[in-house]
Amino acid sequence: MLTLVKLLQSLVKALHSEGTPGQLAAGIALGSILGLTPLVSLHNAVIFALIVMLNVSFAGALLGWAVFIPVGFLLDPLFDHIGHQLLMHMPALTPLWTAMYNMPVVPLTNFNNTVTLGSLVFSAVFFLPFFFLFRWGVTRYRATIGERVRQSKWYRAVTASKLYNVYRLFKPE
Amino acid sequence: MSARIFRWRAIGPLLVFLLIGGVLWWLLADRIARRSAEKIGTAIVGAKVEIQSLHIDLANGDVTIRGLTVASPHEALKNLFQADELVADIDVVPLLEKKVVIDRLAANGLRFGTPRETDGRVPADPSASVSGRVMNEARDWAQQFQVPALQLATGKIDVGTLDPRKLSAIPAAEALSARADSSRKAWQTGLDSLHLGPTVDSATATLARLKTARATDLAALNEARRAIEQLKQARNRVTMLERGVNGGLTALRAGVAGLDSAKQRDYAFARGLLKLPTLDAPEIGLALFAPSAVAQFQRALYWTQLAKAHMPPGLQPRADDGPPRRRRSGSTVRFPRERALPGFLLRTAELSFLLDPTAPQPKRYAGRLTGLTSDPAVYGRPTLFDASAPAVTAGAMLDHVHATARDTAGATIQGVKLSPMHLPSLPMTLDPGQGTTQLGFALRGDTIRARWAIRSTHVQWSRDSAAQGSTGADLLWRTLSGITDLQVDAGVTGTLSQPRLVVRSNLDDAIAARLRTMLGEEAAVAERKLRAEVDRQVDPAIAPVRARVTTLQTDVTKRLADQRARLDQAQKDLEARLRELTRIRLP
Repeated sequence: MLTLVKLLQSLVKALHSEGTPGQLAAGIALGSILGLTPLVSLHNAVIFALIVMLNVSFAGALLGWAVFIPVGFLLDPLFDHIGHQLLMHMPALTPLWTAMYNMPVVPLTNFNNTVTLGSLVFSAVFFLPFFFLFRWGVTRYRATIGERVRQSKWYRAVTASKLYNVYRLFKPE
Repeated sequence: MSARIFRWRAIGPLLVFLLIGGVLWWLLADRIARRSAEKIGTAIVGAKVEIQSLHIDLANGDVTIRGLTVASPHEALKNLFQADELVADIDVVPLLEKKVVIDRLAANGLRFGTPRETDGRVPADPSASVSGRVMNEARDWAQQFQVPALQLATGKIDVGTLDPRKLSAIPAAEALSARADSSRKAWQTGLDSLHLGPTVDSATATLARLKTARATDLAALNEARRAIEQLKQARNRVTMLERGVNGGLTALRAGVAGLDSAKQRDYAFARGLLKLPTLDAPEIGLALFAPSAVAQFQRALYWTQLAKAHMPPGLQPRADDGPPRRRRSGSTVRFPRERALPGFLLRTAELSFLLDPTAPQPKRYAGRLTGLTSDPAVYGRPTLFDASAPAVTAGAMLDHVHATARDTAGATIQGVKLSPMHLPSLPMTLDPGQGTTQLGFALRGDTIRARWAIRSTHVQWSRDSAAQGSTGADLLWRTLSGITDLQVDAGVTGTLSQPRLVVRSNLDDAIAARLRTMLGEEAAVAERKLRAEVDRQVDPAIAPVRARVTTLQTDVTKRLADQRARLDQAQKDLEARLRELTRIRLP
């Protein structure tokens, strides 16, 4: 339940943050990588660092992560297939994988796991489409029903919670 | 105003986050590593791996494991081994490549075959784990061996049911009967087609005319000569028919003789239904010790095949199951490369172990293991193990460097307490006590060569309570309970798909002689009973056919003889009258 409330807070705060639609969309797109790929991977540490360090919406990233976790579970068979094709059925790529496998640090990313590689490739391919899609969606939201939601009582209740203060630390400048 | 790209003030929280991560690592790394090691070890061995404590000292590159227990995948309440302490000297830099290279491992207090309180085996699911698949393959391999039954517990000989449909004499008799009928019809037709009656009647009429004819009646004389010629032709036809009949009769008589052969075969078939206990010494060795021997070979095969699965030959990319997690595991593909480090390498292990740990003064020995690796082709050298002491010699070589894997292992242990062997077919339990055991195992590709032997001079026997009242078991007990020496030799050769098992022991001849004494008379009685049963079922079918053939032979022969006699008599009469007429004409 708490997770659901937090998700709701993330959604609301992200959509009404002071950040631009681009910052919010970039946050969601980066968060989608966290959700689509297996979480405990070295590349996700890099993604997390990017979310923290880049001036993107942190709430948007949390939102993207939360939304894309179930999507990731659903698409795992597809990711497995993609990874299998890339790792096992493309001889032209074998020298690349072999070099990466015997390189320092790179194997810690688990790139040689079919689901990890498949989901990472999928996330990378869809990063820009997601970014533009979410930017368009946020712009449309703010132009249409955003102001009415901001005036509603439940929005004020959500933003008044203590979590909002934590969020403000990472809000886009 | 454009937004800035970097959020510099987030560096502080990020550093705090990293610090928290470091503290968590410091607090939980040992626990996480211990659980991971247990999980991975269990998956590899196919039985529970338990670790009391594990400490990682990355600064010095040391990993210390205390209280390691590896359960046996083959025995429920037994450990494969336990170790008091393992100290691994790890090369830290390869960890960045996710490769574990242990320069030196010191294992102290290794104990083999210790008891445990709970079942340490994990379910062998062939689709879920490599160990499960290998376990199933080894089990299937062991089930190929047909171990003959040694039915001594009751001393009874089982007489199987004699199915008349499986007796060959009955259908042979039916077939011969049909052949006799068709032959009779054919020969009758042949006789009818000879038309002997008109020929003989014509000759008789000619003879009558010739009796009143003169010597100058040339027409009558010529008619007589023509009649004689017709009689000769008729006799030739009879001769030809007779030849055919004789051939047919010979075939029928052969058929009758074939019935006797078929009956003999039926006797042999019936003897096969007697479930006689084997009386040959090699078969007895198989019946007694094959289960124990096969169990040893099955275990050796399991470990070598498991090693092959985790240490595959070659440099081709290969996929294994991915790490277990909530999400799909997928497959983790390894890309070995020449002159690179293998994924796992244990360069040297110094092993200190105890034999017979439950004895008042267990014996302490030392061994050495080198080159244990997940990528033998990358490492380029085989895995070697050796341990030697005054009473122990053990060695193994796993050579997976080339495409065809070569695994050899051998061990001789003297003065060790050997496990008691239950011999269900006797039924007795044999406790070899302290003795010598040897195991040799070689697997090259698909070709297997293995030997298992035990020697003991202090054998003790105990009887199962269920067989106390059996006469046969009593006799055998008296024979075997006086034997204190035991020598068992078992060997497997051939290929994995077609192995040949030979087992011999010094008990074989003693048991075989006793069996012959015990069961000889009973087997003879049972055989007589079965022969009588064969006679009862076969004779009613054979006897009428035999009689029919005899009757047919007599009948046809007699009819042919009669016809020939008629022709001969008519010709003789005509020729006599002709001679009489021609004699008057001559001066």
